[in-house]
Amino acid sequence: MNVAVPVFRRSRTSKVVDRLMRGVLWAIALTFVAVLILFVGAILKQGWPVLNLGFLTKMPETLDAGGGIKPQIFNSIYLVVLSLGISLPVGLGAGIYMAAYAGQGRALRFLRLCIETLAATPSIVLALFGMIVFVQAMGWSFSIRSGALTLALLNIPVITRVTEVSLLAVPRELKEASYGLGATKLQTILKVALPYAATGILTGLVLTAGRAFGESAILVFTAGTNASAQFPDFRLTVPGETLSVHLWYVTSDGTLPDAREIAAGTAAVMILVLLTLNLLVRLVDRAIRRRTR
Amino acid sequence: MPQAPEVSIAAASEGGYPVLEDGLSPAGAGAPAFKHSRLQRLADRWAHLGFLVCSLLVVGLIGGILYFLATRGLAAFLPMAGNTGRTLSFSEVFLSTDWAPSSDRFGILPFIAGSLGVTGLALLIAAPAGVLTGVFIAKMAPAWMRNLMRQVMDLLVGIPSVVYGIFGLTVVLPLVSRTWLADAPASGFAVSALILAVMIVPTIVSLSTDAFESLPAALDEGAQALGSSRWQAIWRVLIPAARPRLLTAMVLGLGRAIGEAMAVQMVIGNNPQWVALMRESTDRAPFLRALFTPAATLTTELVQELPNTAAGSTWNNVLFAMGLLLYLLTMVLILATRRLGRGKEA
Repeated sequence: MNVAVPVFRRSRTSKVVDRLMRGVLWAIALTFVAVLILFVGAILKQGWPVLNLGFLTKMPETLDAGGGIKPQIFNSIYLVVLSLGISLPVGLGAGIYMAAYAGQGRALRFLRLCIETLAATPSIVLALFGMIVFVQAMGWSFSIRSGALTLALLNIPVITRVTEVSLLAVPRELKEASYGLGATKLQTILKVALPYAATGILTGLVLTAGRAFGESAILVFTAGTNASAQFPDFRLTVPGETLSVHLWYVTSDGTLPDAREIAAGTAAVMILVLLTLNLLVRLVDRAIRRRTR
Repeated sequence: MPQAPEVSIAAASEGGYPVLEDGLSPAGAGAPAFKHSRLQRLADRWAHLGFLVCSLLVVGLIGGILYFLATRGLAAFLPMAGNTGRTLSFSEVFLSTDWAPSSDRFGILPFIAGSLGVTGLALLIAAPAGVLTGVFIAKMAPAWMRNLMRQVMDLLVGIPSVVYGIFGLTVVLPLVSRTWLADAPASGFAVSALILAVMIVPTIVSLSTDAFESLPAALDEGAQALGSSRWQAIWRVLIPAARPRLLTAMVLGLGRAIGEAMAVQMVIGNNPQWVALMRESTDRAPFLRALFTPAATLTTELVQELPNTAAGSTWNNVLFAMGLLLYLLTMVLILATRRLGRGKEA
């Protein structure tokens, strides 16, 4: 680190500047706190009058006011579960490979580069890929399966990274003890390392679920902007509009007379779900810390 | 017993997982050899293969995305099979501001400029605020404030882009247009950049907090021993020392901003003709005017127009070319972070 040795002058100005900048830093930080409170507050306040049991359990309307978001709630959960079901094995496998098999040379560096690139790829680009491959080339059109597979691409790098980091954090003594007891490498990974890393991976999984739940760009182009008229519709071949897509679609489409209210209510539901997920992660985290202490 | 096994484990393993995969003793010479059944050895080998396949899938995805986007995106410029559209020249696409697909004119410069403009503005807000918040969390805030800020950033990063969009549409836009613009519509770069800045600030904050926390404590202590005030140490020692990682944080923030689609689409106004509109305007405050002109970016135009175009048409091909451009940009940015990281080690 080549930092030239500085000369610090302690003058009255430097003291004033110091105090001023402390104030500025506090102000910036508190601004973000205020932004968050304002944000969540505004979304909940707008959505509150709309939120009732009818809104959550009614089917949506196409032209009239008063529609609900029941199938969208179902589709959101269904798509998150499906996409995690696809991306979890791949992400776990790739994460295990990177932590335990790839060594430390070129292969690992290249894999990391690929994971980082995939993580940084804009979701609209993933959406285009899903549209070309699943919607058009495979002929699946806008459907749950196209959406789930494309959404999985968004999850894979996050799960891989979390798995790798959690596995590398397993204490060396634990693994050595396992080998010392005569376990094979696979046994050590499955029976010692993974259970130890499980809580870290689980936390990452919940965060991934939250991200997938909020994703919209990918699903607009792969799962479509229509929800099935049946409920519950588990078919993989029907279009599956989620909450976030619905929120965007009613806002930009503008045929619904109560689009504003529907959007506000949907946004409030999404914020509430995400706050709950966040709280869940925090509680799990705290429980683990208490246990390991 | 000789000490050799421990040494060889340390040398041959990565994070405590031996790299040897003979299914026998992981520790190499000197360690006791355990006998494993054929089944166990087989399971070990097949599992290795399975994990390898998963990783290769990720590598394949990177190539696959590039391949499929290229087949569609490059069809705009090269005669390709299944292509019903006209073949365009690079200059009439990348160097023209004239976007009129229905009259067969496909200049995407307005979208490139729009993406760069809105991203640049967002970074102008988010980079200083993010780095300063990072140093605040790492080096100044009391413990309770540090925890609070972590939670705030976690929540901000978890809010979906459509919710940011609806917030911008229903709260920020009306507020700005009522307060400063005498009820003129406020959609355009300014509000989009503001929303984007809040969206990318958590990325910059968390990476720059890490950067400051990983600096050797001696740096901070030394500065203070030389008589620096808190701010002098931050400004003249800590920030310069963390510079490569701070730049990486900004590059990753930039990547997030340039790829964001839905939130921006909901507030920017979606006007592909914004360059022409600005050129015509005879306002006395052109800069301010520019900030509140409804505009469009690469991502917003994709969201806006892709559903309305037929696959294989020139229009559709050009839109995929815009997607390809975004993807290539991502790769360049990731490689740039590698360069910056190497600078740190040197």
